[in-house]
Amino acid sequence: MKKRSIGLAAAGVLLLALTGCAAGGDAGGTGEGPKPLDELVVGFSQVGAESGWRTANTTDIQGAFEDAGIELKFSDAQQKQENQIKAIRSYIQQQVDVIAFSPVVESGWDAVLNEAKAAGIPVVLTDRAVDSADDSLYVSFLGSDFVEEGKKAGEWVVEEYADADDVKIVQLEGTTGAAPAIDRAEGFADVIGADDKFEIVASQTGDFTRAGGKQVTEALLKSNPDIDLIYAHNDDMGLGAIEAIEAAGLTPGEDIKIVTVDAVKDGMQALADGKINFIVECSPLLGEQLVEIVTQINDGETPEKRIVTEETTFTQEQAVEALPDRQY
Amino acid sequence: MSTLAPERAPRSEQPAPRRSASRPALVERVRDVFTSPKSGPVLVTAILFVAVFAVGGVRYPAFLSGQVFLNLFVDNAYLIVLAVGMTFVILTGGIDLSVGAVVALSGMIAASLLQSGWSPGVVIPLILVITSVLGLLVGLMIHVFEVQPFIATLAAMFLARGLCYVISQNSISITEPTFVALAVTRIPLGGGLSITPSVVIVLVVIAVAVWVLHFTRFGRTVYAIGGGEHSGMLMGLPVARTKVIVYVISGFCSGLAGVLFTFYTLSGYPLSAIGTELDAIAAVVIGGTLLTGGFGFVLGSVLGVLVLGIIQTIITFEGTLSSWWTRIFIGGLLLVFIILQKVLTSRRR
Amino acid sequence: MKTLVARAFSSRLFWPVAMLVVLVVINVIAFPGFLSITVKDGHLFGSIIDILRNGAPMLIIAIGMTLVIATRGIDLSVGAVCAISGAVACSIILGSSDPGSITTVATAVAVAVVIALVLGLWNGFLVSVIGIQPIIATLVLMTAGRGIAMLITEGQILTVNSPPFKAIGSGFALGVPIAVLIAAVIFAVAALLTRRTALGMLIEAVGINPEASRQAGVRARGLLFAVYTFCALCAAIAGLILTANQTAADANNTGLFIELDAILAVVIGGTSLAGGRYSLVGTLVGALVIQTLVTTVYTVGISPIVTMVFKAAVVTAVCLLQSPATTAAIGRWRRRLAPRVAVEVAS
Repeated sequence: MKKRSIGLAAAGVLLLALTGCAAGGDAGGTGEGPKPLDELVVGFSQVGAESGWRTANTTDIQGAFEDAGIELKFSDAQQKQENQIKAIRSYIQQQVDVIAFSPVVESGWDAVLNEAKAAGIPVVLTDRAVDSADDSLYVSFLGSDFVEEGKKAGEWVVEEYADADDVKIVQLEGTTGAAPAIDRAEGFADVIGADDKFEIVASQTGDFTRAGGKQVTEALLKSNPDIDLIYAHNDDMGLGAIEAIEAAGLTPGEDIKIVTVDAVKDGMQALADGKINFIVECSPLLGEQLVEIVTQINDGETPEKRIVTEETTFTQEQAVEALPDRQY
Repeated sequence: MSTLAPERAPRSEQPAPRRSASRPALVERVRDVFTSPKSGPVLVTAILFVAVFAVGGVRYPAFLSGQVFLNLFVDNAYLIVLAVGMTFVILTGGIDLSVGAVVALSGMIAASLLQSGWSPGVVIPLILVITSVLGLLVGLMIHVFEVQPFIATLAAMFLARGLCYVISQNSISITEPTFVALAVTRIPLGGGLSITPSVVIVLVVIAVAVWVLHFTRFGRTVYAIGGGEHSGMLMGLPVARTKVIVYVISGFCSGLAGVLFTFYTLSGYPLSAIGTELDAIAAVVIGGTLLTGGFGFVLGSVLGVLVLGIIQTIITFEGTLSSWWTRIFIGGLLLVFIILQKVLTSRRR
Repeated sequence: MKTLVARAFSSRLFWPVAMLVVLVVINVIAFPGFLSITVKDGHLFGSIIDILRNGAPMLIIAIGMTLVIATRGIDLSVGAVCAISGAVACSIILGSSDPGSITTVATAVAVAVVIALVLGLWNGFLVSVIGIQPIIATLVLMTAGRGIAMLITEGQILTVNSPPFKAIGSGFALGVPIAVLIAAVIFAVAALLTRRTALGMLIEAVGINPEASRQAGVRARGLLFAVYTFCALCAAIAGLILTANQTAADANNTGLFIELDAILAVVIGGTSLAGGRYSLVGTLVGALVIQTLVTTVYTVGISPIVTMVFKAAVVTAVCLLQSPATTAAIGRWRRRLAPRVAVEVAS
């Protein structure tokens, strides 16, 4: 009996503690005129927290909304589309003023976006797009163009090896089936495919992680002795590749050149140190632009349909200059 | 009374009147229902579900609406069907880790065939046949080759997931009109509430499962296998056949869940439903089914899914939990449920 | 000679070892230098060394998992414990004034190990005292634990610059990778502790028949605490190796799905998930099979699209070949051949 009461009491305390967080939110109404910013409620469904990039994206957005005084309801979908659909439906139920989300996958949003449209709640896409035929389902899409990132990487490679006879390339892919991986591969292949001297001798997935990049590079270095260049879909895999190259007694950046995408701090450091040769930026700092779109919607204006994130590329010299200001 | 074995005689089977007459019989009866290994856990889960719903209703203004409750069915239709299929398997003491991958595979097959112009009337039955056959192969592997269910279904999971990638790396949208109509239609229930056709399908599946488990010999054999295969065989029940058929049922349910998932997302995506098998297993266990087999109810598993759903709804309504606090919160709530269930249904030895 | 062959055939390890040989052969065909081991910069260098070093963390976890499975349990939280220990260690090293000193690294390792022991005790508590089913009890820590790891790193990847720490994952001692040495030590400790003392027999007893062993006086509670704590300890050490290998704590991805690989290794090695008799040598072979499988994909150049199907095929093959039905069929086939031999010997 005692054990039971203690167990009950403990469980009760635990339950109360878990629900005893900060005060819950107020349901917003459907706007008629511009509402004061502090009455706005925005529902945001994030893909997950699968990488440093993603977390930087979340922190930036949460920070920007806090600065603007707008309430942000945040939900983490743990990389599952069904969780995002549930979250969006829940936001519709809570009658938020704007719904923003980064779709984990391109297809399959028509049903729930139609519900949002029927409820009169505008939808903004961040970071990734949806492939709906009906583009009235969302107000604006703010994000990078992954295919373009692949192309920029390809263009640097073409320029760098303009005088070479044949170039052996190893591609470290992102997670199989993920949009950034597919698009960055596509963009790159489009550009270098024009010239026969470029050959992708091996293309394996490192799952966007350092450990994956290291393990794959290790194995490929042994079975393909003459690699000229490694193209990694993100910085982390490139950093893993660097360790594998050094362990094999070679010098990254010189014996084997490396091109990556993202421009996170660790990657930029490696670039400044000369271990990576070229980085295409993929910026997660969407917060300010998102707040701008939300205030535009609130004021009754129509934001631009497609807003491409301002991104650039970095060479080794540029990295040394830019490094002190990197936020993520 | 022997002095050698200082064990106490089991008190659970003693009739109530033997205890002190000062305790009212009603309290005794309630406690017996709670501590019965069959219905106790399910009851506790139901009460906890209501409690969580009430807490949510107090904290968030828009929470206490019928639509929030119905959305639990709308959003989790596929998971309910998965949990029903999983219940059959777990009742026999087995497990099925392939369900998530099979859901994804069903989606990929549906999307790619519909894209090529096949009609839904052919595609949907085809998917159910394919997944049932996969379940049959797994069941045979488990029964004939005596491979452990964990490993056999793990291999099936790798196979199904691998086939998803082979069909297509990219996600495929479904635009076929009948399919889309089935997906986006809402059936109004009056008072502003509505459900989708998937919910109707789910209710039918639950009804059929309850009928099979409790009113057919097959169902009795399923419970018997979980209680002890050998006693089942000695009783003359078709144990071997049943063991294989539960995996066919699980395969069928995974295929059906895959179809419902495809209605839900209107696309096929090779990376979908990763980890969903653990959600289904968690739902079944929260619903009171023992992983060792022999005890459990389909309705308990349905309740388990609703519990998982309401936890997620609360997190979304709260809106302030970061990604990591979300996981800690989910883990914590799961723990509370399980401990409460164990504590409230424990029998005094 | 004949009895040796017969014993080899009937050993549970025959097929896993055969599969290992087949995979190695495939690798050698694709890349003739696969088996070569050279000495570079004073240490061993080669594909085999890579397999051993990359497989060491998974092997360590599989050793802990073997003992847990032997008690009829399972531990799904090992990946999360890996992530937590890596996150804790890196936070401490980053927060210290001298990241490169051995004392800092030793402190970081010690704290990570202590936290893991507490988590193991927690799992043991849920399973043995409260009596929750192991799969669910450890599922709680699997979910919440990764959240805790992400909380410690705030979702970021914490990169550290500490040569002693890096050595744990990618360094060499006596020419052999340190990670492999650590794995060997843990294997030896587990083998000695369980086979030279009654501990192994008691663990098997609890797994084979918990009720009978309780009545025989076996203190199941203490044993369960011990195995879950040991498993968590193994997970912590593996997590430190994984983190040191990339000199960064990645709370999201460290140890992700490693529990599946570990359980696969244990089962391929012949230990049954229903508990009871276990084989640490079997787990070793199982871990080697899985790691070689991963390497084969890279060496042969199997497209990432088909990798999963390939894995499914190998796992299915090993399981089918290992099954009693196959052994019986082979026995029947050999017995059909035997009478001819016996007649020859007799005459």
